[in-house]
Amino acid sequence: MFWKSNKEKGSFALLIGRFQDILDLNNQILELTASTGDMLGGNYVFDQQYIRSTCQQLAELVSDLIRNLDALAPRKYTPLYKTFDRINNEIKEELSGHRVSSKMDLILSFDAITRDSSDAVGLGNANLAEISKSLNVQIPDGFAITTRASVFFWEYNILQKKLNSVIARWENNEITVSTAAEKIQEIIRTGVVPAKIKKAVRKAVEKIYRRQKSKTLFFAIRNSEWGEDSEHSFAGQHVSLLNEPGETIVKHYKTVLASIYSTTAMEYRRQKGISQNEILMSVTCQMMMDVKVSGVIHTLDPVSPQRDVLTISAAWGLGTAQSDGRIRADRFEVDRNPPHAVTAINIVRKKEQVVPRKSGGIEFEAVAADQQTLSCLSPEQIKHLTETGLAIERYFMKTRDIEFAFDQKDHLIILQNKPLHIKPHDQKETYNINEIIKNYPVIFSGRGEIAQKGICTGPVFFINTDSDLESFPQGAVLVARYSSPQFSRVIKKASGIITDIGSATGPMASIAREFRVPAIVGTETATSCLTQGQEITLDASENCVYAGIVKELCHFELMADDFEETYEYRLLRRVLKKIDPLNLLDSHDKDFTPVACRTFHDITRFVHEKAIEEIIEMNFYHPHFSKKNARKLDLKIPLDLILIDLGDGFSNLTGDRLIQPENITSTPLQAFLSGLTAPGVWSSSAVSVDFGSFMSSVTRTSATSIAPPKNSDQNLAVISREYANINLRLGYHFNMVDACISENINDNYLNFRFLGGVSTAVRRSRRVRFLAQILEKEDFIVNLKQDLVVGRIKNLPLAVMKKKMHLIGLLVAFTRQLDVSLISEEHIARSIVEFNRFRKDAQLSQIDREPQP
Amino acid sequence: MSIQQKTSILILDDEPIVLKRLKPTLEKNNFEVEVFFESAGALQRTREREFDIIITDLKMEGADGMEFLSDVKKRSPRTEIIVITGFATPDTAKECFEKGVFDFLAKPFRLNSILETIKRAEEKLKGAD
Repeated sequence: MFWKSNKEKGSFALLIGRFQDILDLNNQILELTASTGDMLGGNYVFDQQYIRSTCQQLAELVSDLIRNLDALAPRKYTPLYKTFDRINNEIKEELSGHRVSSKMDLILSFDAITRDSSDAVGLGNANLAEISKSLNVQIPDGFAITTRASVFFWEYNILQKKLNSVIARWENNEITVSTAAEKIQEIIRTGVVPAKIKKAVRKAVEKIYRRQKSKTLFFAIRNSEWGEDSEHSFAGQHVSLLNEPGETIVKHYKTVLASIYSTTAMEYRRQKGISQNEILMSVTCQMMMDVKVSGVIHTLDPVSPQRDVLTISAAWGLGTAQSDGRIRADRFEVDRNPPHAVTAINIVRKKEQVVPRKSGGIEFEAVAADQQTLSCLSPEQIKHLTETGLAIERYFMKTRDIEFAFDQKDHLIILQNKPLHIKPHDQKETYNINEIIKNYPVIFSGRGEIAQKGICTGPVFFINTDSDLESFPQGAVLVARYSSPQFSRVIKKASGIITDIGSATGPMASIAREFRVPAIVGTETATSCLTQGQEITLDASENCVYAGIVKELCHFELMADDFEETYEYRLLRRVLKKIDPLNLLDSHDKDFTPVACRTFHDITRFVHEKAIEEIIEMNFYHPHFSKKNARKLDLKIPLDLILIDLGDGFSNLTGDRLIQPENITSTPLQAFLSGLTAPGVWSSSAVSVDFGSFMSSVTRTSATSIAPPKNSDQNLAVISREYANINLRLGYHFNMVDACISENINDNYLNFRFLGGVSTAVRRSRRVRFLAQILEKEDFIVNLKQDLVVGRIKNLPLAVMKKKMHLIGLLVAFTRQLDVSLISEEHIARSIVEFNRFRKDAQLSQIDREPQP
Repeated sequence: MSIQQKTSILILDDEPIVLKRLKPTLEKNNFEVEVFFESAGALQRTREREFDIIITDLKMEGADGMEFLSDVKKRSPRTEIIVITGFATPDTAKECFEKGVFDFLAKPFRLNSILETIKRAEEKLKGAD
């Protein structure tokens, strides 16, 4: 690599070489991780082979990284190897497809279930828990007995061996399927539930008793579909035991497990070629609610999807007998488009209802005469159901089948929600979608990047200034030149988002993904091609915008198989959880240790931080440090920065340990310092003097007496004429700039990372969004995650690269204390204005100082 | 273009996810699509009928994509072949082009990239017809 043209021999060169390898690996790991994360956006087609090879590549890079640190500081950080092995084994276990890990809990309470728990509790439960968190809908209190528990039960009773002999006899046609099913179910029912499971169930039930302040609770006990997608769904029949006392859960658990071997399920598996042994089941226990009316929403009528109506069926009492027709239900059809007019009502005579029996179980009961012909839903309830149903559909981007109930106090409770698979009756419908699309003019296509896939329709609404947000109409498509963090205020109203500027990893994209609103960013021309109020269809799956409302396209998308429900998507999400999140934020924290690392990113961050510490200690604080190569920079601002020169980074050295800025010949560092020390910027923030001085005391070490490194902050720059790697810890946050700036355009790049902060999470996130916005407008590729913002730019001419580096210097100075002052969302915009003012001044003064050639 | 003149595409990949992602996208773009995750089935199908375009992986479990594409090209020289693979080396790319492959896409790829490639292959087909 170009910076290794170091002529100096000996240990210094060797150690610096190690350090450079660490920096280099650090960049490679972060870049590979970022590009892997981009795969989840839906733009790419990837397969399992890709996931496997990427994980392997990352593991090799991370283990290299650890080896390099070990070489820099022998045996000082050996626990890192163990940590690495632990994380890597977890990843390998995910990749092996053994989805039930021994670490999985036997019981998961609904509040602990997330969308990533589907292996443990089945997709249905994971989806239910997900909407209760993200959409704030009420679901019944309860828990799931996980797939891990079923495996445990199986092993404990040595069931597989017993079952195999019965299955073999059936497969050899020695016994009928019903005899086999009966025998197997009997074996399962006489099995012993291990004490551990019993105890876990008892604890979970007691917890609910405490939460609900009641000792006579009854439960609905169901099996849960387990599987990654519709193709691998649990191929069994649905078993629901309603209104069973908490004490009987363990007994019923076995009955529900036994249902895996119903005759239908066994035949189905034989037909589909699914092994009779590859079966895992989770069992759900939900508290029974005091239900007045219950029913089912189909967010799109499966019988005639082209009519664009949502259907609701509902009847008095519990919903259990509606689906098989034992109880008649009222039926409503509602226009899917606002204001959601009810287009058809069919009220039937409802003579009977299903009610919970006092002693447990359920019974049929006559409906009071005056209630029989009444609609069991009010217009308000229909509206509420419609809006909730469509919100759930939008969240999953797929038509949904939703079971609901209203309790005696008319609170809406969602009991289940699963994808509604609508297959067009007529194959032509699928095939002709292209013919239909042809009737609608394409306004633009293939421009920009998809930030969140999906299809939506609506009128265009321009946002030029933040004040336009006040009048943003429900269901409009938000169109803007730039993204603004302010958009989050209206995102729930917007059906889609299109911006001129922005990238799929930028701040707008992350908001769009969080709320799952279809979005295309960086189209360049959206604001000039579209007009206010124009009705459009945004196809953010194919990256195309049509004039007019193309209903068929929305239906096509809603009915299509969902990428996010594929095994590969979920696998990648799961392995990324062990790679990408950063938990080690603060290096001053006592938990900043090898053992505390939970992801590859944590390890990478830890190694980077420690490598800097080691290099500073060895090269500067060591009594025999090389005067020639290590210096402390003498700056007018209160910042200690140690420089290590790899070659031609300084000139005109005197014997002093201090070096003056004018003696720096490193192009990137020069440009960075011109921004960092621009007049007024360093002390610009609107923080109190007290706090400001506190911060500067943290960042400054005495220039004359060199303190040991442990007491100082680690500000280090490793430089050469064309290269700089700058690490600044300003107060509690961390900046890393890595850049090459030369005449050779192809070598040029600039990476900037900003992390952490001292104030609240909200304010820190405002600061990274502020940074992301500035960087994005400056053509950086921006990646934003929690407290971390990464900006990358490359292959620009020398003069432009210098300007970008100057900007980074300004930003580092300006954002030093910014999180403290970002007390509201409005302050972000205000800070941008303020920053641009400083920037202008800085540019002017720079031009004054060094006239352009 | 009327329905009869749709460009026909066969896709062979041993990972069902690839087929699952490509099929609806290509259908939406007005192509006639058949998918196979086993080379035997795909091979038999290409013996039954001619396809305008074939998209195939190179390295599959229990099958050799290179053999498959050689076989197809021998039988139907006008068929354009697009290779998609996760093991893209200059050598395999070279071998593919020598065998008359239209283009070579490294996995993972963008949906847009493969659509563009298919459209270019379509134009070449039109020029040849």
